[in-house]
Amino acid sequence: MAEILVELGITFTALAVAGALATRANQSVIPAYILAGVVVGPNPPLSLGPIDLTLVAHRPILDVGAELGVVFLLFFLGLEFSPDRLLARPTRLFGVGATDFLVNFGAGLALAAAFGFPLLTAMFLASIVYISSSAVVTKSLVERGWIADPESDVILGTLVFEDLLIAVVLAILTAVALGGGGVGAVLVSVGRSGAFLAALAAVAVYGTPYVERLLSVEADELFLLFAVGITTLVAGEALVLGVSEAVAAFFVGTAFGQTDHDERLELVVGPTRDLFAAVFFFSIGLTTDVTAFLDVWVLLAVAVVVTSLSKLASGVLGGRVYGLSRRRSLRVGVGLVPRGEFSLVIAALATTAGASIPRTDELASFTVGYVLVMSVLGTVAMQYADGVTAFRSREH
Amino acid sequence: MTVYETDVPGVGRKFEYELDGDDRLVLVVHHDGKREVFRRRSAEADSEKLFELDDQQAREFGTLLEGAYFQPLDLERVQVPLGEEIIEWHDVTADSSLVGRSLSESNVRRETGTSILAVQRDGETIANPEPDFEFGAGDVVVALGTRAQHGTLADLASN
Repeated sequence: MAEILVELGITFTALAVAGALATRANQSVIPAYILAGVVVGPNPPLSLGPIDLTLVAHRPILDVGAELGVVFLLFFLGLEFSPDRLLARPTRLFGVGATDFLVNFGAGLALAAAFGFPLLTAMFLASIVYISSSAVVTKSLVERGWIADPESDVILGTLVFEDLLIAVVLAILTAVALGGGGVGAVLVSVGRSGAFLAALAAVAVYGTPYVERLLSVEADELFLLFAVGITTLVAGEALVLGVSEAVAAFFVGTAFGQTDHDERLELVVGPTRDLFAAVFFFSIGLTTDVTAFLDVWVLLAVAVVVTSLSKLASGVLGGRVYGLSRRRSLRVGVGLVPRGEFSLVIAALATTAGASIPRTDELASFTVGYVLVMSVLGTVAMQYADGVTAFRSREH
Repeated sequence: MTVYETDVPGVGRKFEYELDGDDRLVLVVHHDGKREVFRRRSAEADSEKLFELDDQQAREFGTLLEGAYFQPLDLERVQVPLGEEIIEWHDVTADSSLVGRSLSESNVRRETGTSILAVQRDGETIANPEPDFEFGAGDVVVALGTRAQHGTLADLASN
């Protein structure tokens, strides 16, 4: 017990220090959390001169924490996902979302084909490079003050579209990956997964009064326990049935988000997500062998360039579809460049499925490196975009 | 007045308040209650952040903006109409016969026809004072009644 407690203590302290440093450097905390995991994990760097850095062996308790991180990341995605919002201006939002998907998922597939990945792995790779990071993008929007400008509507609308689509993609990929060999087995798996998720979606759409009553407890403590309990239980049951626990959590979040408790959930359950999401990023770092980046550096370099440009292009196009000026459209493109937590969630799924998906080791190393670069590059690009677009506006 | 309201997923809610022409005040209300206020002078301009307040500060400052806390009017003349009746504030002076007497003793309701809704004392408001509530000099009586009834109460409160 003492050993577990010490390792957990090291974990949280390392996360706190890394987060503080990242914040001071005006950077996203996500790459910092991953790097904290790399530094104290069982892979190189192993020592700093005489100081042994292998402080945290990969303990099962951290795996549970990381899993909860995935569950709560998706839970909050569902919570903030409002069907009304998506349906408010469906055609324009759909146009922007579809452009974003076709261009970036397409770029991912092309990349995978160029590097000779088989189809299933290519689907994972395309999903990883397709999805922007809600956490990094939203935080940067607030920090840069873009949140008050019209481009933020398009950026956030695109994120909502991506989030919904990635829930679908995750559900399918999980079913296929866990279904194992054979077309029949995969079909059964996809069917079961579809039925389970349809049931959850029905609760989300029609069960609002019941969910409302369930969450109507006075004490914050009980409220927290109900929310965390139900979410974890449903996610767990989903996994037992071979359905993506992340997508199940997404639907629980959607169901909860339809009630009047959404603000209270943000306030009371938000810290739970922050804690476990940090552990998730940390555990990604723990399993990362930075020397493996050397094996994938060509793919990494090409992917960074190609997918930055593809996001920029689809964003500018989306902004124009939305009727924004060139300057604001450019910001939409830049704003969507950061990739983060969901790319890691998809890579983690590929790793879990392991044997049935070829070249997952390569995919895992690639994703960590990719997220490290893109989350930092994206935030820095947004700082520069301020200068560039301000300059352009003076020209006119 | 036109206000555009949008959901900002993961952040909170955004309100855009139209000033003249394209000039807009933009308010972002975060889930944790933080309020950020921006001004965008034209459709193409960048929003400049004006200030940021926490939930409590925003509510307090809001009452100032609303004019509810401090009115640039004479407090004596503040009137809130409710049909025939109005709500008015009356200062209880040291000379008033009310001072030292309780609500039931002074029988304000029978004497003046007004109903006392609340009494403000030292910055605190005592709503629906009990019959044994005793008036003191410096109290502000908030009462409901017709204009004539308020006249009677004003006399009672001042001598």
